[in-house]
Amino acid sequence: RAGEELLPAGFDPLFKKVALELPPPDLEDSRDDAGRLLDTLEKTTGMDDALFNLETLSNLPAVLREGQWRVTASLADGKGYTEIVRVEPGRRAEKYYGLAVDIGTTTVVVELVDLAGGRTVGVKGRYNKQAVYGDDVISRIIYAVETPGGRREMQRAAVDTINELITALTAETGVESKDIHAVVCAGNTTMTHLFLGIDPAYIRMEPYTPAVNSLPPVRAAELGLMVSPGALVHCLPSIASYVGGDIMAGARLIEIDQAEELTLFIDVGTNGEMVLGNKDWLLACACSAGPAFEGGGIRHGMRAMAGAIEHVQIDPRTGEVHYQTVDGAKPLGICGSGLIDLMAVLRDAGIIDRTGQFLSRPELPRLREGDEGPEYVLAWAHESGNEQDITISEADVKNLIRAKGAVFAGIRTMLRMVDLPVEAIERVIVAGGFGRYINIRDAIAIGLFPDLPVERYSYIGNSSLKGARLALLSRRVRDGVEELARKVTYLELSVGNTFMDEFVSALFLPHTDLNLFPSLINAA
Amino acid sequence: MAVTIAKERWTSKVAEVVLGTEPNAVKIGGESTLPFLHFEGEMNNYPKVALEVWDMEPTEWPEMLTRAYAGVLNDPVAWAKKCVEYGADMVCLTLVSAHPDNKDTSPEECARVAKAVADAVNVPLIVLGCGVEEKDAQVLEKVAEALSGRNLLLGLATAENYKTITAACMVHGHNIIASTPLDINLEKQLNILIMEMNLAADRIVIDPSVGALGYGIEYAYSIMERTRIGALTGDKMLAMPVICILGQEVWKTKEAKNTTEEAPEWGNQERRAILWEVVSAAAFAQAGGSLFVLRHPESLKQFRAHIEKMMRPVTY
Amino acid sequence: MGLTGLEIFKQLPKTNCKDCGHPTCLAFAMAMAAGKAGLDQCPHVSDAAKEALGAASAPPVALVKIGTGEKEVVLGNETVLFRHDKRFEHPTGIAISVCDTQNAEDIAAKIAQINKLVFDRVGQIHQVNLVAVCNCSGEADKFAAAVKIAVENTGYPLVLISEDAGAMEKALEIAGAKKPLICGANATNYEAMTALAKKYDAPLVVKGADLNDLAAVSEKVMALGYKQLILDSGAREANRVLADQTQIRRQALKRFRPFGYPTITFVTNEDPVQAVVDASVYIAKYAGIVVLDTADPADILPLITLRLNIYTDPQKPIAVESKIYEIGNPGPDAPVYITTNFSLTYFCVAGDVEASRVPGYILPVDTDGISVLTGWAAGKFTPEKITEMLQNSGIADKVSHRKVIIPGGVAVLSGKLQELSGWEVMVGPRESAGIPSFLKQRWNA
Ligand code: B12
Ligand code: SF4
Repeated sequence: RAGEELLPAGFDPLFKKVALELPPPDLEDSRDDAGRLLDTLEKTTGMDDALFNLETLSNLPAVLREGQWRVTASLADGKGYTEIVRVEPGRRAEKYYGLAVDIGTTTVVVELVDLAGGRTVGVKGRYNKQAVYGDDVISRIIYAVETPGGRREMQRAAVDTINELITALTAETGVESKDIHAVVCAGNTTMTHLFLGIDPAYIRMEPYTPAVNSLPPVRAAELGLMVSPGALVHCLPSIASYVGGDIMAGARLIEIDQAEELTLFIDVGTNGEMVLGNKDWLLACACSAGPAFEGGGIRHGMRAMAGAIEHVQIDPRTGEVHYQTVDGAKPLGICGSGLIDLMAVLRDAGIIDRTGQFLSRPELPRLREGDEGPEYVLAWAHESGNEQDITISEADVKNLIRAKGAVFAGIRTMLRMVDLPVEAIERVIVAGGFGRYINIRDAIAIGLFPDLPVERYSYIGNSSLKGARLALLSRRVRDGVEELARKVTYLELSVGNTFMDEFVSALFLPHTDLNLFPSLINAA
Repeated sequence: MAVTIAKERWTSKVAEVVLGTEPNAVKIGGESTLPFLHFEGEMNNYPKVALEVWDMEPTEWPEMLTRAYAGVLNDPVAWAKKCVEYGADMVCLTLVSAHPDNKDTSPEECARVAKAVADAVNVPLIVLGCGVEEKDAQVLEKVAEALSGRNLLLGLATAENYKTITAACMVHGHNIIASTPLDINLEKQLNILIMEMNLAADRIVIDPSVGALGYGIEYAYSIMERTRIGALTGDKMLAMPVICILGQEVWKTKEAKNTTEEAPEWGNQERRAILWEVVSAAAFAQAGGSLFVLRHPESLKQFRAHIEKMMRPVTY
Repeated sequence: MGLTGLEIFKQLPKTNCKDCGHPTCLAFAMAMAAGKAGLDQCPHVSDAAKEALGAASAPPVALVKIGTGEKEVVLGNETVLFRHDKRFEHPTGIAISVCDTQNAEDIAAKIAQINKLVFDRVGQIHQVNLVAVCNCSGEADKFAAAVKIAVENTGYPLVLISEDAGAMEKALEIAGAKKPLICGANATNYEAMTALAKKYDAPLVVKGADLNDLAAVSEKVMALGYKQLILDSGAREANRVLADQTQIRRQALKRFRPFGYPTITFVTNEDPVQAVVDASVYIAKYAGIVVLDTADPADILPLITLRLNIYTDPQKPIAVESKIYEIGNPGPDAPVYITTNFSLTYFCVAGDVEASRVPGYILPVDTDGISVLTGWAAGKFTPEKITEMLQNSGIADKVSHRKVIIPGGVAVLSGKLQELSGWEVMVGPRESAGIPSFLKQRWNA
């Protein structure tokens, strides 16, 4: 799971320590101590936006002299200025760290990064403790707004989740939490509001206005995060109620705003957010697909963990199933990549029709009537890891069709707004928790993704965390995310009928308009 | 100053569906233009009108309507003959009694009635079920069998029951009404599903679920315009003629049902109700309807007169 | 056709300064492409951009106004051939005619009848828009007298129909201040008529013997510097009118300037029923104004209703009316289902209730046409709204029990709903397809 060691070109972390050697004062040069330090700082690092805090300033004369004008300054980026957090005598060799945090609705992942070297020291994830208040953002908003003290509880739950992960990471790595000096969080708009304790009430109400998109940094102590109390916590900006900092992090990671090619970035997480564009313009929307491709809302759905069926084949004649699971463990459920495969093969094998209805095939032993209607058995209880039959029901299939329909409809709607055909998309970058390999051909075959040459696709996993890490390691990247967010035009899909029309036409395998899938016609 | 006439160069046309058998067969569809724009394409078949016949006496029809069929309402055969007398191009037999809340008439009995009606008139027959999808599948299967080879138009086939009805149409040589609730995408989807069972495009008629004037007519209107444009621009899955089952919608509106005394500010009922039916039909004719199921004989007469007018070619 | 959003965007400053009231230049460009914003709203466009975009951003059908005050009729600004492409902007004006050959009382009586053509439809008032006075007599004095009666007896703007410029002059002396529609100019009288129109700043009908002639007259009047025009192709037979109206709209969208105006059509069918049907075709197909002779409410109500339907905004979600729907013939012990008024949702539920073969009542709550979960998420499908529906729809009088079934997806609502409404809330299956088996297991009221 450890993030790849991406070092941004302009390595310039949000917190760093720099060694400075000040010219000692004399009668000719009797500048003030603080001015002297600032001048030296500018000369050595080019930094001209530094400000002292009172505490540092108050002891500065003694510190400078104790170190004989050789000191180490701790510098924290405060978004728009640099705070001189501390000045210590002499050259300090000890390490200092930062955290990149992906605050997901379901899971929270924390990555501990050595800010001096840019290396990741450890990564840990766990379920978001807010889940006890509801699985989805809406239930959590309702709880936070309608329960007295709910907003505080929710904020505590988020902070506790992160603190637990910090504790685990520090225990494992030996890093001390007081040495963590900067935090960058990427989360959806609701998660960001709840984490900071900001009123989320109007996020869900028409016209869907968040309290804040671009956030100021906040002191860790104010939030109760178990890191150095003065550390600044940065949340990456949202652009709308349902396109948050997690997406902006990903968009910046892939540098969509620098791209020459028309790029489509899709995060098929809980919502199906996407950004389309290039260096000239950017358009974003949230297609509200739901978490089906992360296994959510699917009876035997699960995330891509050990035991998740990630690859399926069905013999069209006998209906026999061959599957492959993550880590080769006994099957416990099915994850996103498996579900994509499965939809394609159920259709190919003539088990479901194009609307997702199960056909009547009495000769197939695995096709049976379940308590929610027809279902297909993927793994019998005796072969599974939990002694249960693992099945997919018609209700599951319909839910998946809605989810894939929403994603495709979101893509088409954006294209229609700028009058471009699907083929105009030159590259597609997919993020999200599908599992290890997402079979692009199958994803096209079920109409989740547009029918473009497979070479145009790439998959980048958890882009939110990677983006947050990059922002932690580079002020330029962090500023770039802000700039990118300002550039993006948000498309509200609930306005007008275009999306709904596209949505219904996509509730079919692969799509009502087969001409949009020429490679499937040609293959048939 | 000479105006360069703007003509669309359509690449395709609506499929032509033949209903009934020679010498009394009726053709619908086949248009290669938007409705009545004779200057840019062909419209060889007049839009056709069917009058509705029930297999049991209606209890909630307004008096104005039952008066036109006085004496035959409890006899589908006599009723159908009356419709032909009134000049209907087709008879639309609706097997209302099959509904479990009505008489729950058996499929066999329904088939017997359908056969009796078919044998009594020389115009082609549309046979509609009672609207309960499961029951309709059983009923229409029997009707199809009993009238094998007579090239009927059977419906309504929906996403739930199309498989049985399509199969029956294939085996016994009938045509199908593919019915979807007010959505062009669902409409297209059902056409695809039916065609994937190998029923030919020229055996399918689209029912987009029309509403009456004042009751959502605009939804079906736009769906029909889009369907026609789809057909003309080469979308084979939309290239079927459209049926507008209008009478049932019109005659439940208060504008058609309220008497002159009940709604004096709306004018005379006879005039108003007929216009409600004819204006609804005329609007759908503009949107691309090819087959109309109406209820009042006077509406039939007036709508036909209007169509005669619109079918006179205009050239530039 | 118009420019695309991206084409417009290229010409904008790309600073995202928001002065236009849009969050970004691209948002503004897309709004402009959709005809929802005008270039003048951006204070920063360069002259070069104005030039490049100006012509393309002007509406292909000019905006023309008839009359004054609150009954003013506004026509034009149309941008599409089919309502589903965007929407039709300004509903057809319905004009009812009187003739100056009738005696004064008859004219006044007919105008009184016209004034009464006001209908209430779902809380909205709909009416005819214009009174047309026709110079059937061919005499200027009679025409003036009839116009005088009209002015005195109706608040509707007038259409003055005469091809005699002298008669028109007299009529305008009486009615000119109210900006009537001057009907009108033709190949022979256009100079005098245009002068009158200019004098009174009133809109002018230009009539041609056919489309070519119409284009010629229209050009000539435009050359005289007058642009408040309404077009009459001279066609009077329904089939020909349809063809001409289609041509005029198509040409306008192709920016053929002489046809860039709203149109007027005349219903002349001798048969009174056929006349109404002809008018319905003109309303459906692009007529700016339709002039008819009848003032019978039985004739006008269907036309006004059709106009209302054709001119509704198709960009609204397809929703069903929020009211009680009876599936089968439900009795007092039939189940009551709650759902939303999104048509797709409603039709799913209705289909499955029907499949259960148990007659029932369905109450779709008005969620602005969105689905169950989206409605819940956006706060549009709430216990309060459901309670209101249970209380105000009259369902309580139709059933003897007090049990209501809600979608499984919004089980969370049940507590509050029960409390607010006093009804026993039963949580149904998540998918409506489960309704038949749910009923078998749980329903025995
Ligand atoms: C299309 C869609 C939209 C569309 C349009 C919605 C519309 N017109 O309704 C748009 C894009 C506008 C939209 C917006 C939002 N959406 Co949305 N949307 C969807 C989607 C993909 C499908 C919804 C749909 O149309 N379903 C089809 C209809 C027919 O289903 P239905 O109404 O639920 O009816 C079924 C059942 O409820 C049941 N049923 C209905 N009535 C009854 C009655 C009885 C008695 C019974 C027993 C059963 C029953 O049977 C029906 C048929 O199966 C779902 C995800 C999914 N995979 O389902 C999300 C979903 C509903 N949306 C969701 C949300 C949160 C939103 C937003 C509020 C935020 C967002 N995520 O973007 C926004 C609103 C603001 C905005 N950003 O625009 C969430 C909702 C709840 C949650 N648990 O969080 C969902 C589940 C996705 C998710 N998990 O994120 N959405
Ligand atoms: S006012 Fe002009 S420059 Fe400013 S955002 Fe709007 S379109 Fe762009």
